[in-house]
Amino acid sequence: MLEVKELTIVVNGATVVNRSSFFIPNGKITAMIGESGSGKSMTVAALLKILPAGANTSGEIRYKSANLLEATKEEVTAIRKNEFFTIFQDAMNSFNPSIKMDRQLYAFSAGRIGEDHTTYRKKMKDILGKLGLSADILDRYPFELSGGMLQRCMIACALYVKPALLIADEPTSALDKVVQKEFLKWLRLLNENGTTVLLITHDLDVVTGLADEMIVMQKGEIVETGTVSEIFSRPTHDYTKRLLDSRF
Amino acid sequence: MKTRKNLVFWCSLLGLTLVLTLFSDVLATHPVNEMDLDAVYAPPGEGHLLGTDHLGRDVFSRLLQGGKVTLTVAGLSVALSFAIGVIYGGISGYVGGWTDSVMMRILEALISIPSLIFVLAFQAIMQGGMWGMTVIIGMTGWFTTARIVRSEFIRLKDAEYVKMAKMFGTPAWKIITGHLLRNSMAPLFVVTIYNLAGAVFIEVSLSFLGIGIPPSVPSWGNMLYNAQNDILIGAWWIGLFPGMLIFLTILSINFIGEAMKDSGRGRFHA
Repeated sequence: MLEVKELTIVVNGATVVNRSSFFIPNGKITAMIGESGSGKSMTVAALLKILPAGANTSGEIRYKSANLLEATKEEVTAIRKNEFFTIFQDAMNSFNPSIKMDRQLYAFSAGRIGEDHTTYRKKMKDILGKLGLSADILDRYPFELSGGMLQRCMIACALYVKPALLIADEPTSALDKVVQKEFLKWLRLLNENGTTVLLITHDLDVVTGLADEMIVMQKGEIVETGTVSEIFSRPTHDYTKRLLDSRF
Repeated sequence: MKTRKNLVFWCSLLGLTLVLTLFSDVLATHPVNEMDLDAVYAPPGEGHLLGTDHLGRDVFSRLLQGGKVTLTVAGLSVALSFAIGVIYGGISGYVGGWTDSVMMRILEALISIPSLIFVLAFQAIMQGGMWGMTVIIGMTGWFTTARIVRSEFIRLKDAEYVKMAKMFGTPAWKIITGHLLRNSMAPLFVVTIYNLAGAVFIEVSLSFLGIGIPPSVPSWGNMLYNAQNDILIGAWWIGLFPGMLIFLTILSINFIGEAMKDSGRGRFHA
């Protein structure tokens, strides 16, 4: 699905990601794990081509036939709009606080695929219902909803557009354990509907029972990759061992 | 609750002043420049509600008409300074980098010069009447607005919803108006309210000094200017009523700003 080869990211002279290579297999949930500052979010920013000013990249990010690092702005925008969906860490910050949810959810879902508002209202109400949300949230402002409800709204949009790849950057770190569990359930549902998921997290508990594949990052480098069961049963790198030990 | 009550009170007071001045043509009891030489310095009473001035002109009618001029100049100049401040601060904050650095150094240089010097320099060049004054106050009153817009844009442009809009290829003008400017409106509104009070004060001050609105056009500042000598001969009503209205108008605007600031605090958390 998506292959990263020798990716290096230098921001204002500091190497934040160093010659990282990994592969995200189609139809699977891949978890990228590592402590804060290990380069996970920078890698995601490179995948989405939203790196901060002053960042230089080298290597390859291959999605289908395109190298995203060399693709034009229009090509990348088309891929982000039609193939990818991103869920960021803080759902409260993902929505414009002064615009009602209806308009924003439309823009994140039906608006992207060119569907009219009437069709959207009907379909979105169904999806929200499945996620345990009442349709009247469409007429509310984001600051009237909880973080968990807003993350579910994001999932609703993803269920609506059925993206090829969902990138979730620390989506559960602002949620309590109960809501977190619910959220992961919906992530699994999305995956069962055919969406490949790249889950960025520093929480090993999130990976357990959800992810199929795992990429471990430390200080800007990929130190271990493999299936979750392989890595959990036979970790080879010291950092991975320490990470696994820290769970108990 | 107390803030809301304050807001209602001061808004009502300002609203009443606006209505009185807006409908001055209907409410005025005499033509503003009509001279009644048989009633020069007539004290408040029958025939002339708030008395007459040294030329026998009706103070009440001139007060209403003068308010219209003063508030029009202040309102339009604030609209002009708002537009300039939003454009300047918006470009600086949104583009960032060296453009922001250069624009902010220029702004700091402009802020370091007392605005009265700018106003006097512009007035010397334009020698403006009412519209000239509007342009002058507008051109010299946008500095704070620009700084607020810039800081809000810098804060908001890293918000995730802005990143998402950029990812979807949303045009820059839509991001600026729909996300950045829209969410900057609360602090901008407050600063604009204060600018309005400042604009009323500048118009009144310049006219009082005799370098503002031409003497032929009645304004609150002009009325105070003309009343300077009249107070000495005991015609207190000529200066008192415009003075009171200026005081109450500026006070109302400032208290509305304060109330808006208090009620807006914590509501927007982009």
